[in-house]
Amino acid sequence: MTATEPVSAPWGPAPDGLDQQYWDGLVAGELRLQRCTSCRTWIWGPQAICGHCHSFDIGWETVEPAGTVYSWNRSWYPYMEEYANNLPYVTVLVELPHAGGRRVLGILTDDIEADPAIGDRVVGSFERVDGSAWPLLRWRRAGAISEGEDR
Amino acid sequence: MRADIMRGAAAVVGVAEQHYRRGEAPHSEKRMTLEVILEACADAGIDPREIDGFVSYAGGPNDGAIIGGALLIDELRWSNMMWGGGGGSVAAAITNAAVAIATGQAECVVVYRAMSQEDTGRLGYAKYHYGSHFLAHGIGSPAQICAMRTQRMLEHGGVPRSAMRSLVLASYRHAQNNPTAQGYGRPLDEETYENSRLIAEPFHLFDCSRESDGAVALVLVSAERAKSLRPDPAYLLAGAQGAPGGYSELIDNDLDEQYMSAGFGPANNGKPGVAERLWSAAGLGPDDVDVVQVYENFSGPAVAALIDHGLCPPGEAAGTFMTVDNLTAPSGKLPINTSGGNLADSFINGLNLAVEAVRQIRGTSTNPVVGAKTSLFIGGPMAPLVSSVLFGHEDTL
Repeated sequence: MTATEPVSAPWGPAPDGLDQQYWDGLVAGELRLQRCTSCRTWIWGPQAICGHCHSFDIGWETVEPAGTVYSWNRSWYPYMEEYANNLPYVTVLVELPHAGGRRVLGILTDDIEADPAIGDRVVGSFERVDGSAWPLLRWRRAGAISEGEDR
Repeated sequence: MRADIMRGAAAVVGVAEQHYRRGEAPHSEKRMTLEVILEACADAGIDPREIDGFVSYAGGPNDGAIIGGALLIDELRWSNMMWGGGGGSVAAAITNAAVAIATGQAECVVVYRAMSQEDTGRLGYAKYHYGSHFLAHGIGSPAQICAMRTQRMLEHGGVPRSAMRSLVLASYRHAQNNPTAQGYGRPLDEETYENSRLIAEPFHLFDCSRESDGAVALVLVSAERAKSLRPDPAYLLAGAQGAPGGYSELIDNDLDEQYMSAGFGPANNGKPGVAERLWSAAGLGPDDVDVVQVYENFSGPAVAALIDHGLCPPGEAAGTFMTVDNLTAPSGKLPINTSGGNLADSFINGLNLAVEAVRQIRGTSTNPVVGAKTSLFIGGPMAPLVSSVLFGHEDTL
């Protein structure tokens, strides 16, 4: 394991190494997702095979961390002790136009009292988090734009 | 092979359930399992040693050899754990028992599930069930995952939140007639529902199921045997399980708008999914259903499941259909969760709902739908594998 192994947070690279590039990307300040080398289909969550063409030749590419809110949730109950001191918090599922519309999760860090709207444009950044040896992808609204634009 | 080879081949002839407030089970899961199996056999008029098949789902160590060994059954022929889906495979477990009977693999199969907080903790806090790509973003519970899917159903799909509220209020109304329901004597009104604390938006407290300790068992035999045992077997008209490939399994990258469905919809190639396969095998459709028990881990997924089955229109019209009166027995258009369900009765991973579905065929529910001939049970919506089973009175054969 590396020096950046998480100390207390229950997240980080999978033991089989499948998503190591994702986490290394966060450290490097990049959002990296899988892409099939054969058919160029974007893949997420991490897989050993391309579900589209069944190639095992999967690469990683850097994606601009920008997209639109596909759905969201504001958590009020301390389901996770790691986030129990930060209630409530908003998690957004973000659709990435630069990665074939694949969707990634992340916590929204701007004014979370204002409900996000599906279709809101968001921009990601890579933030150090207490208790986590790995930076995490966080999102902020770039200004509300109606769903369907920028497609 | 015809899809309807299963139709009416097997029937539920014995049921039993016990439930307690979570953490208050008087016995282990194994002991409770043995108790409800004996009770279900007594209900059926069957010697427990005749049981030769065991089916459960969502995990648990007490397999057919262990339980059958404890009961010293004559012979073990069938011992299956449904693979994946958690509560989504609850109805599939019943179908699996019927498959064994219809194909001659076994003659008397029991479907069971036991939950004790002391033995296995709580489902809602199964934190490490989810991987890093959920946990890192504060998502550690099925409640939150279902909440996000529900939010899209409301905001993008146009389903009014009142559809969820009506389902909850109808459940509590039913529970007031069911003395063993945990919500008995605790009526719920619209204002209390709306003012209850938020848990995982859009879910308020009352949108979330209870977790109970307890155990449930259902005994199935062939239709021929069933007729000799009792006047009111609940025949299995059809059962279906599955989900579109990748549904609820790819860290929320379900194809197209499958994300806001409950998983019962068409396959990725457009062919019939769980709901359509169920109707096709039964030779019936949503308009033929007299009463429904729908697994509501949370209210939103249950609404999505009703939409998937064609029992409720999608979008704005869902709010017009889903009124408390429409959902309440005896005279509602589609009585739902007539014991109080997972919300207001008890939650033994949903198998308690199957017992209520059988009671409706027998006419022994505390909220009977008079003359009910078809009784639908829908298993854990929004799980990676979902399932439904349709029971029928003898008249439907």
